[in-house]
Amino acid sequence: MRLTFRVNGRQQQADDVWEGESLLYVLRERLGLPGSKNACEQGECGSCTVRLDGLLVCSCLVAAGQAQGRDVVTVEGLASQAKKRADGRSGGADGRTGKAGTDLQPLSPIQQAFIDAGAVQCGFCTPGMLVAADELLERNASPTDADIREALSGNLCRCTGYQTILAAVRLAAARGTADTAGTADTAGTGG
Amino acid sequence: MKTFRYERPADPAAAVTLVAGTPGARYLAGGTNLVDLMKLGVETPELLVDVSRLPFGEVEETDTGGLRIGAAVRGSRLAAHLLVRERYPALSQALLSGASAQLRNAATIGGNLLQRTRCLYFQDVSKPCNKRRPGSGCPAREGAHRDLAVLGASEHCIATNTSDLAVALAALDATVHLTGPAGVRSLPLTDLYRLPGDEPERDTVLRHGELITSVELPPPPHSARSRAPLMVYRKVRDRASYAFALVSVAAVLDVRDAAVHEVRLAFGGLAARPWRAREAEQALQGRPATEEAFVEAVRTELSACRPLRENGYKLALAERLAVAVLADLAGQG
Amino acid sequence: MGTQMRGTAAPGRTPTSLSRRSRTKGGIGESTLRPDGTLKVIGEFAYSSDLWHEDMLWGFTLRSPHPHARITSIDISKALAQAGVHAVLTHDDLPTAHTQYGLEYTDTPVLADGVVRHHGEPVALVAADHPETARRAAAKIKVDYEPLPVVHDEASALADDAPILHPNRDDHHAGHVPHPNIVHRQPIIRGNAAEAAKRADVIVTGEYEVGMQDQAFLGPESGLAVPAEDGGIDLYIATQWLHSDLRQIAPVLGLPEEKVRMTLSGVGGAFGGREDLSMQIHACLLALRTGKPVKIVYNRFESFFGHVHRHPAKLWYEHGATKDGKITHMKCRIVLDGGAYASSSPAVVGNASSLSVGPYVVDDVEIEALALYTNNPPCGAMRGFGAVQACFAYESQMDKLAEKLGMDPVEFRQKNAMSQGAIMPTGQIVDSPAPVAELLRLIKAMPLPPEKQWETARGAADVRALPGGLSNTTHGEGVVRGVGYAVGIKNVGFSEGFDDYSTARVQLQVIGGEPVATVHTAMAEVGQGGITVNAQIARTELGVTQVVIHPADTQVGSAGSTSASRQTYMTGGAVKNACEAIREKVLETGRRKFGTYHPAWATAELLLEDGKVVTDSDEPLADLVDVLGDEVIDIELQWRHRPTEAFDPVTGQGFGHVQYSFAAHRAVVEVDTELGLVKVIELACAQDVGKALNPLSVKGQIHGATVQGLGLAVMEEIIVAKDAKVCNPSFTDYLIPTILDTPAIPVEVLELADEHAPYGLRGIGEAPTLSSTPAVVAAIRAATGLPLVRVPVRPEHITGT
Repeated sequence: MRLTFRVNGRQQQADDVWEGESLLYVLRERLGLPGSKNACEQGECGSCTVRLDGLLVCSCLVAAGQAQGRDVVTVEGLASQAKKRADGRSGGADGRTGKAGTDLQPLSPIQQAFIDAGAVQCGFCTPGMLVAADELLERNASPTDADIREALSGNLCRCTGYQTILAAVRLAAARGTADTAGTADTAGTGG
Repeated sequence: MKTFRYERPADPAAAVTLVAGTPGARYLAGGTNLVDLMKLGVETPELLVDVSRLPFGEVEETDTGGLRIGAAVRGSRLAAHLLVRERYPALSQALLSGASAQLRNAATIGGNLLQRTRCLYFQDVSKPCNKRRPGSGCPAREGAHRDLAVLGASEHCIATNTSDLAVALAALDATVHLTGPAGVRSLPLTDLYRLPGDEPERDTVLRHGELITSVELPPPPHSARSRAPLMVYRKVRDRASYAFALVSVAAVLDVRDAAVHEVRLAFGGLAARPWRAREAEQALQGRPATEEAFVEAVRTELSACRPLRENGYKLALAERLAVAVLADLAGQG
Repeated sequence: MGTQMRGTAAPGRTPTSLSRRSRTKGGIGESTLRPDGTLKVIGEFAYSSDLWHEDMLWGFTLRSPHPHARITSIDISKALAQAGVHAVLTHDDLPTAHTQYGLEYTDTPVLADGVVRHHGEPVALVAADHPETARRAAAKIKVDYEPLPVVHDEASALADDAPILHPNRDDHHAGHVPHPNIVHRQPIIRGNAAEAAKRADVIVTGEYEVGMQDQAFLGPESGLAVPAEDGGIDLYIATQWLHSDLRQIAPVLGLPEEKVRMTLSGVGGAFGGREDLSMQIHACLLALRTGKPVKIVYNRFESFFGHVHRHPAKLWYEHGATKDGKITHMKCRIVLDGGAYASSSPAVVGNASSLSVGPYVVDDVEIEALALYTNNPPCGAMRGFGAVQACFAYESQMDKLAEKLGMDPVEFRQKNAMSQGAIMPTGQIVDSPAPVAELLRLIKAMPLPPEKQWETARGAADVRALPGGLSNTTHGEGVVRGVGYAVGIKNVGFSEGFDDYSTARVQLQVIGGEPVATVHTAMAEVGQGGITVNAQIARTELGVTQVVIHPADTQVGSAGSTSASRQTYMTGGAVKNACEAIREKVLETGRRKFGTYHPAWATAELLLEDGKVVTDSDEPLADLVDVLGDEVIDIELQWRHRPTEAFDPVTGQGFGHVQYSFAAHRAVVEVDTELGLVKVIELACAQDVGKALNPLSVKGQIHGATVQGLGLAVMEEIIVAKDAKVCNPSFTDYLIPTILDTPAIPVEVLELADEHAPYGLRGIGEAPTLSSTPAVVAAIRAATGLPLVRVPVRPEHITGT
């Protein structure tokens, strides 16, 4: 079947997709976006987490046909997404993405924070973790530790013991709050 | 995974016709359970009929003050819904204690109710399983079964129902609305599920082609003194998130003048269906709301348990959890 | 022009003072950031499962559903006939008579050779144009099995009529094992335990059990094999040790090693689980057969069958002590289940036996450790490697002894703690710092986390801070706090006389007007940060800021495995050594070019700092750029740690380990005793790291190891039923800790230099995974009063029902 949907702000088309392929497979093997990871392919680890129409989902359990006409954001689009949000706040232009839907932008705040805090070891959980953390910070600019833990509890990491991942989200939140001091939305607590 | 066809019909009637006319057809909603089982080779549909975009996505108040929940509503949305959080908090609790945020965002209410068991043998096509391959045997009885049924099991199957949502809905007296080739019908949620008996391959009483369209809740019970509905869902599991219930309890309790005015109690993790504890409820009706009474009533209910080598601990867990929940609710009233 | 040296060379006069601090930015001791960090956060880092090649095929492995069976026939015709299938291979198709491989014994069939010995053993391979086509074709292969009796524990393995799983053993331990189903047995006898027991005022015994733990690295086994025009093959692979893979792969393919060119691709974690081969040979066989590139990626189900696990163990211990708290003696028997093939079981036995006393001084011991051959899944390397199982048992014993003596468990441990100069049960003298008592003091001195953190200002309980968390199981009633301590000892590097070395090739040249060092090793970066550290070492030693890390491959000599906590020590040491040789060359060139301009060229100890040649009193003599000109200095050298020796097969005596590593934990738990739920509130760790080359990475290792220990304590176990079949090969049924299960992990780091090691550093990756498990269990015991002799501890063990 033919599949048409938006990925990281750009219309994408895949042909000869077999019905049994997952959104994850289509992204990785047909669209050249291997950032979303295949640690379990059974919805158990969160490494394939993407946004589907804004919601976090495990792309390994989304049947290809279900993505038809939908809007998908992957780790490759996080920087553009962040740029778009920042521009939206200041009334600026849309973020752009490159040919294959990968970012031309510098790193998003959460990506930078993961590097700075040492939250990346083997890095296999990192893309899914980043997409989930980015979604958290989008709806809750100042999450408590409990909020962060709750938001990331569907993403397994085997290397870090989660300590530096917590630190990275705190760091990104702190930098975000510093950037938008006085305007940050701190209403939600995610509880 | 076997090859199959995928269709996304525009309306419910077309969906029903498609599935009813194809013996190997299955409805696909969120896919979080079905797609997984297809990958494992446990489910091998010829045709998937995608119903996730059919107009069953509303949550609305009924004329009687209850709630009607469209079958295509996502779990996360229902858990966060204001009416649910205010009037049916146990439902929110049950939803949030299940799976992960990612799965709750994809899984629908209808799909959640029809999720299949997590028995280790059912999952693995290289092993016998009467539910998956009738007549092949049940190695779980002799093998790994610490998480399996102690109530209502048969010699053919000791699988459990793993839906947290179903347990809460059972205690809330939910009704399930269906549409199918023979028209619409409604069932109490507790009657949707069957015990394994001689046909463990049949989880529910649904006929081929029948589709859950909505779930309806009667108005929530309120205590005489407070507006807060006295209900709770609690779950015991091996990990703090993202794990199935070893035992769970959903309870509604209304105590007036120190006596049980209304009680509804359901167990998860004990049987092939959410286990509505009717005997315990009957025993408590009108009785003083004391811990002793709770213990006695719950023991009566659980006296039917037939544990195996590894899952006997569930009895004590279920008793303690239910008594703690009831005592808590009594204390709050 | 380039100068390339190979072979082992002794570097010349170079300053190696441990205390010297480099001024060069990004050198050792700094928390420099990972060079692969950016690619990893933007999703463009190429893991082995991300590889793609035009015209590539997908491979799939058909595995045995039986734990022990004879294969009476295999019919591949239907699979071969399926459209899109390019090849189907069985044992009969193997190209040479060399059809087995193995890390220590060559006992593992590439494809089953008429008999399968464990559930999930590879039987046949398929290559097809789509992964699903390959799977479907594999399902059409018809294999007839005749089940054989199953060996699943010690009793069935050693029974008189037990089936002998490997009847024609020719390994180096075959001659001295008491039964052919014993892979290896290592006794250690020192002093006279029976005599010493007479001095004991109290004697405690205990039987302990450790379940089968999985490494559960997230990146599945995967790789891409590309056939080359010269008849050889290029293999892009996630592994822990390229050259060890190569040694096992090449003979099976019938190719000389130089025709099997391996390149490390992105590795999604390892933890020991990639020490053995998984799909390497399979992908190569399919690629050579079809003439096309072949990619194999396991899914999680297959991954659980595709790598070895931590040995489950049964441990019996006896300790005695005098009234004043001195341990008199120890006797123990440790039985490890090695499963169907040897993997690294012999070395695990060596570790379990030689580290079975723990970090304590006990002069009179009688130790026996052995590994069995069974039809259970093969077990081998996992972080902690034999020391984890022993640590759970001896630390449980320490608590039991302290309780019997009425002593504080930490004071009791400190009273018996080893220190530098102590003698191991193997007779080896511990010749570097062993600050066991101090580590215990450090964790005990840390402030305890506040009580009842679930209580909120508003009076309602925050269930997220309680056992059960969002399951809403408790609001604080029936919740009991417990505190537990544990300390462990782990060896670093390969032991027992193994010729352990690493190789580094370093180039120094001027590129774009700047001195640039290129570091080329075959070290597997599996997430630990070895590439970060190697670059730091090069900066420190060569005084340059620009360091290029060349991809790891087999075009350079072996680096040994990324395991045994050894890579910073060994490959870090090799990089340091090669850099020192480079520095000598630079100085030689400098003396030749500029020696006449300044007497210091001849008289002073010279260093490279900030792109300059400087004297030890920091006087600059020349810019590196000017010294080098257009010369490329290129040196490849092997580097070894000091030799060890094999343990005596009868007495277990010998200088078996090169270095020891110590960590201690304090666990604070809250237990819902009614429902059996445990919440670990805090898991504090203190560790001596010798020298923290990268403090951020050091903490990352401690955090990760600690949480793997926590997982073993309360949730992780591969369930293998009595019929030797694996029951829970998924992340839904094999649980690892989520972020909600993981407490705060405060870390205290000591830096007491080991004078034998580069920069005084100590291998750190494993020690914290030892003590974490017994500390958590001790805390649960303290909260519940239960004996809890088996891990993982599950709710039903706490509710006692």
